[in-house]
Amino acid sequence: MQSIEQVPVTVLTGFLGAGKTTLLNRILTEQHGHRYAVIVNEFGEEGIDNDLVVDADEEVFEMNNGCICCTVRGDLIRILGGLMKRADQLDAIIIETTGLADPAPVAQTFFMDQDVADRTKLDAIVTVADAVHLNTQLGEHHEAEEQIAFADVVLLNKTDLVDADGLEGVETRIRKINPYTKIIRTAHCEAPLDNILGLDAFSLDRVLEVEPDFLESDHDHEHDDDVKSVSFVSETPLDLDKFETWFGNLLRTHGQDILRSKGIIEFLGVDERYVFQGVHMLMDASPMGNWPEGKSRSSRMVFIGRNLESMNLLEGFEACKAK
Amino acid sequence: MQSEVKSDDERRPPNRIGISETELERRGLKLELGVPVTGATTLGDAVVVGFGDGTIRLFRPGHDPVIHQAHLGVVLCMAAYQDFLVTGGDDGRFLRMTPDGLIEELDDFDTKWVDCVAASDGLVACSSGKNVRLWMAGQSKPLNFIHPSTVGGLSFDAKGRRLAVAHYGAVTLWERTKRKWKSSTFAWKGFHGAVTFSPDGKYLVTAMQENALHGWRIRDKANLAMSGYPAKVKSFAWTGNTPFLATSGADEIICWPFDGKFGPMERSPLCVGHNRKQIATCVRSLSDEEAVFAGFRDGSVLLAKLDETTESIAVRGSNGAEVTAIEVSPSKSHVLIGDALGNVLWAPLMSGAEYARNV
Repeated sequence: MQSIEQVPVTVLTGFLGAGKTTLLNRILTEQHGHRYAVIVNEFGEEGIDNDLVVDADEEVFEMNNGCICCTVRGDLIRILGGLMKRADQLDAIIIETTGLADPAPVAQTFFMDQDVADRTKLDAIVTVADAVHLNTQLGEHHEAEEQIAFADVVLLNKTDLVDADGLEGVETRIRKINPYTKIIRTAHCEAPLDNILGLDAFSLDRVLEVEPDFLESDHDHEHDDDVKSVSFVSETPLDLDKFETWFGNLLRTHGQDILRSKGIIEFLGVDERYVFQGVHMLMDASPMGNWPEGKSRSSRMVFIGRNLESMNLLEGFEACKAK
Repeated sequence: MQSEVKSDDERRPPNRIGISETELERRGLKLELGVPVTGATTLGDAVVVGFGDGTIRLFRPGHDPVIHQAHLGVVLCMAAYQDFLVTGGDDGRFLRMTPDGLIEELDDFDTKWVDCVAASDGLVACSSGKNVRLWMAGQSKPLNFIHPSTVGGLSFDAKGRRLAVAHYGAVTLWERTKRKWKSSTFAWKGFHGAVTFSPDGKYLVTAMQENALHGWRIRDKANLAMSGYPAKVKSFAWTGNTPFLATSGADEIICWPFDGKFGPMERSPLCVGHNRKQIATCVRSLSDEEAVFAGFRDGSVLLAKLDETTESIAVRGSNGAEVTAIEVSPSKSHVLIGDALGNVLWAPLMSGAEYARNV
C-alpha cells in the first residue's frame, strides 16, 4: 500500500512590527536543507524571500453546522489543498497571519476540514511578541491576548531594548494569560529553529509532557487582562458519566469563551489515562495508555479563556469526583 | 471480468487490502509518474490529463501519450469545449490549448493562483480570488466580475447563456442579455465550491464545505438540501436519461434524481456501487449509458449500473492512492484513471458483448 505523510504546519502570529518577517526570513535562509512553503497575508510587512510564497486573504467562513464558534479559514483549505498537489514534497508549511488575526479559525480549520486533517497537521502556534510594546498592546487589542492565549511558543523579541524588571513584568503577564506556553527570549528572533518548528504541540502525546507551570493554579485576579487561565488537580479519580455530562455542557454553553483547554483525566475503574485538548468547542480526545507504574495518579485540567469565573469551573470539576 | 467487490471477510491476496488487480488493469497501460493527477477531461478525440508539475498529457486510443509542459507549477483546474482546453495554475497563468498542443496564454495573475476555469461555445472564463474574467468570441478584452469572497466554482450552462459563480454564502448567476451580463443571487449559508447546471438548465447544484450538496430550482429559487454524506462531496457527474446527479462523498455512489417538477425534493437518492466502507472521491458517467464510474480513497474504481440490484464491476484494484480523475475517451473505447500519487491507468474498455460474456 502506498501512503501519504502529513505535512506539519506552523502558524506564526504576532502584532505588526513584532518581528514575524525577520523570523520568517531567518527560517527560510538558514541552511537546513528543508523545503518550506510560506503562506503570507497580502497586507503583510516587507518582502519574504522564497520561491514558494503563497498569498492568502484571511477569509473566515462560518460552518453551516449550528455551532456558532465554528469558523474556519476558507483560504487555507483552498491553499493547503493546492499545495498538496505539488510534485515536490514539502517538509513543512508556515502560515503567517496578520497582526489583527484571531488564531482560532486557523486552528479550527485543522479540526473541521477532513482533507486538511488528512494531509497536514497543525504543528504549533508560535507568537512573536514585542517586549517593548506587548504590555500596551495587551490592554488595547483583544487580538493580542488571543495570540498569547493560543501560543504554544511565545518568542519574546527585542529583549535588548527592555531592562530586566521590564522583562520580568512582561513574562509574568504572559504567564497569567497562558501558563503553559514556552517563552523564548530573543533580541532579533535568533532562537534555534528546533524550538520553533517540528514541535508537534497539538498531538495528544504532548499534553502528557506537562510543563511545571501547568499545575500552578492561578487565583490571582489583580491583573485586568480579559483572558485568564485556571487549572485544577484532583487526586481522587473522576466519574466518567458525571464528567462527560459536565464537560459536554460546558463546551456547548461556554465554548465560545474557552479559547484552549487541555487535560489528563483518571476515571474510576479505567486503567488508561484519558487525554484531551481543544480549541473552543472542538476537541481532540483519546485514551493514551496506562498510567506509569509506581507513580501517583492525578487528574489535571487547564482552561484559558474569557469570563472563566462565570462558569463555576471549580465547582463543576469537584462535583465530577467519584465518591 | 472476474473481479468484484469482496466483503472484508473474504479471502484476499497477502499484503493487499480491498479489491485485487483487475483484468482491465492487466490489459491496460500503467504509468507510475510520481506526480499527483489533478484532473482529466476530453479534448477532440483525446483524454487530456493535468498534473501537479504543470504538465498535461494527451492519451489517444492507439497512440503513445503525448506530454506538454503547460504550467510552471500545479495544474489546478481544467475545462474543455469541443476542440479547445483551458487550464489554470498556481503559477498564476490562464492557458488555452488546442488538441495539437498549441498553448496560448490568455491571462497572467502573477503570484495569485487561477483557481477555477470554465469553457463553452465561444466563451471561456477563469477565477482568481474574488475575480472572474470572461472572454467572449470576437472581443479582445475580458469582462471582469467581482464577487464577495473567493470563488469556489465556475460553470456555464449547456447553451452558454449563463455563468454560475459559486462562493461563500451564495451562487451568483450571470445571465447574458442583449447588451450585457446581468447578475442574480442564489443565497444559502456556507461556502459553495464546485457548481453545475442540470442538463436541462433548470437546476443549479453546488458542493459545499460541509458534507452536503445544495441545489436551487432556478425558476423560483426553491432550495434543495442534499445532505447526510460522511465526507465532503468532491466530485459529481450527470448520468443517464433521468438524469441522475451521481456524487462522491459516501461509501457508495449517491445518485439524486432530477426528473419531474421537483427534482430530488422529498425523494430518496439511488445508491449504487457499494464499496466496503471506502469513501468515493471521484465519479464520472459512462457517456450515454445508464452507468457510472466511481473512484475511491483506497484507489479502487468500480463501474456501477444505475440499478440497486446489479453488482458493480471492479475496474481498478485498491492501490492505496486516492482516485482524483476518471475520464472516458470520446470514442468510449478507453478509460483513464489517475490518483493522488501519480499512478495512471489507460485501459481499453470491453464491448457490450464482452461484458455479457465476462460478468
